Amino acid sequence: MKKSVVSKEYQNLQKDILTLQENWKESINPESIIPSLDKAAMSAGVPAAALTSINFDISLFIQWIEEIIALLTKNNPELESKLASVGTLLNEETAIRWIDEAFSFNNVYFASFAEEHGLEEWIPQFLAETALRPYLQLTAEKLQHEITHSVHGAGCPVCGEPARLAVLEDEGRKVMTCPRCLAHWDAKRIECAHCGNDDHKAIQFLTIEGDASSQIQVCEKCSGYIKVIDTRQYLSKPSAAMLDLNTIHLDFVAQEQGYQAVGEVKQTN
Amino acid sequence: MATEYVKFVDVTKCDGCRACMVACKNWNDLPAEPQDFLGSAQSHAKTTADTWNVLQYIEHENSKGNLDYLFRHSACFHCTDAACEKVCPENAISYTDFGTVVIDHEKCVGCGYCVNNCPFEVISLKEYVDKNGDKYRKANKCTMCTDRLEEGLQPACVTTCHTGAMEFGDKAAMIKKAEERVKQIKDRYPNAMVYNPQGVGGTHTVYVLAEKPSVYGLPENPKVPTSAVIWKDYAQPIGKMMIGATTMAVVGAFITNTIISKKKNGKNEDGGDSHE
Repeated sequence: MKKSVVSKEYQNLQKDILTLQENWKESINPESIIPSLDKAAMSAGVPAAALTSINFDISLFIQWIEEIIALLTKNNPELESKLASVGTLLNEETAIRWIDEAFSFNNVYFASFAEEHGLEEWIPQFLAETALRPYLQLTAEKLQHEITHSVHGAGCPVCGEPARLAVLEDEGRKVMTCPRCLAHWDAKRIECAHCGNDDHKAIQFLTIEGDASSQIQVCEKCSGYIKVIDTRQYLSKPSAAMLDLNTIHLDFVAQEQGYQAVGEVKQTN
Repeated sequence: MATEYVKFVDVTKCDGCRACMVACKNWNDLPAEPQDFLGSAQSHAKTTADTWNVLQYIEHENSKGNLDYLFRHSACFHCTDAACEKVCPENAISYTDFGTVVIDHEKCVGCGYCVNNCPFEVISLKEYVDKNGDKYRKANKCTMCTDRLEEGLQPACVTTCHTGAMEFGDKAAMIKKAEERVKQIKDRYPNAMVYNPQGVGGTHTVYVLAEKPSVYGLPENPKVPTSAVIWKDYAQPIGKMMIGATTMAVVGAFITNTIISKKKNGKNEDGGDSHE
């Protein structure tokens, strides 16, 4: 899909960030990622990355953050003053903390860190998450052969990101993809990724007029949704991260219709 | 210029399901054209103004005396050197950045030169009726879903093909693929060949054919008709000047005639049998 609600400038910035992440990933020593897959834990929904010991190279992590800051500043010089203090704040101890908190989506920690140091709220988590992803992606690459399915409601089996994106491949195989770590796994065509509901009467598809290759699959049981994109129709296939970004209008539509990126468990007596 | 794309049709993978025809109708919003039985499983004799691709069904006696049941997805070839574009007096037919050949209905006057000059007989005129009840005609044919290409999507027929008989991609890659496929199937189809006729500068639909082109009713070596070249490159520029001259004469005559008729009908003008 060429048309996107996301501006060309932001798309290009994201492309640059993805290129940086790809380069960083290449520079990670593959031996620093040591999986110890506990089948029982994984079948209970624990993300594989949480069961993996990753020897982070902290100086490399800090260097990456500086590179992101340089890219953001180059892209928008106005950010220079807002990002200038980050470099001085980021010592080894903070970097380790950032990695841990980014891994567990602790936005409360990042919000308070920002407030404490007079930074705009988005900055710490954005930087930490961007620099963490190459490690997650390399972990996913290493574990991909083990990843066949996910536990409903547990999100990505590698990094735990809420499941929200699927692509159609081959004869219509639905492949769930994680825009964060780029892991992928198969799922049934009519099945809610959040609650496992596979009752065809309680799964609906929302489509957008003029958007021939996208669907929003919504679950009437848990009110969760995922985006299903038929990338077989595309002239060139974007990465899961770009696809997720460029189809953000589907998230808006789904959420406006009352559906959620994470399904809710309805209590029944 | 955007990447030059080619639709690669491997007829030996086609199972004749006709989903490409349905997908085309669906995407391009073309009405159904019910047909009488034509004596074979083929639905329409050839492409029409409302049926932009037709699945050919051919029972062919091969060199061993056996009958081969051959299928071919037939549609506009989107020639690199397109006769239709050459002959169009209104410049209504043009090439896009993708290499596809498209008709601008705003400019088309329905003269039918493109229909007569297409070496593959894929263009047809459609009759429309305007709000005054007047009839007019416009040329129609496959657009290679240029509107989809502009959106970054593949043509509708390609995306629906379930056997993988059609692919859409970079020109060089597709031609290479076609050549490799011919090598693979030579045992089964000794006459197999890549059909990408150079007489029209190559086409943007490249086939792997199981048999000689003539078996499929295709010209062995299609060319842009010499008359078309003469028309476009030599006669038309002069012709436009001539049209200019005759137009002036006609306009002149019209003014004169109006004056004359006014004089003749002078009484009526004063007569006031109008309803105003």
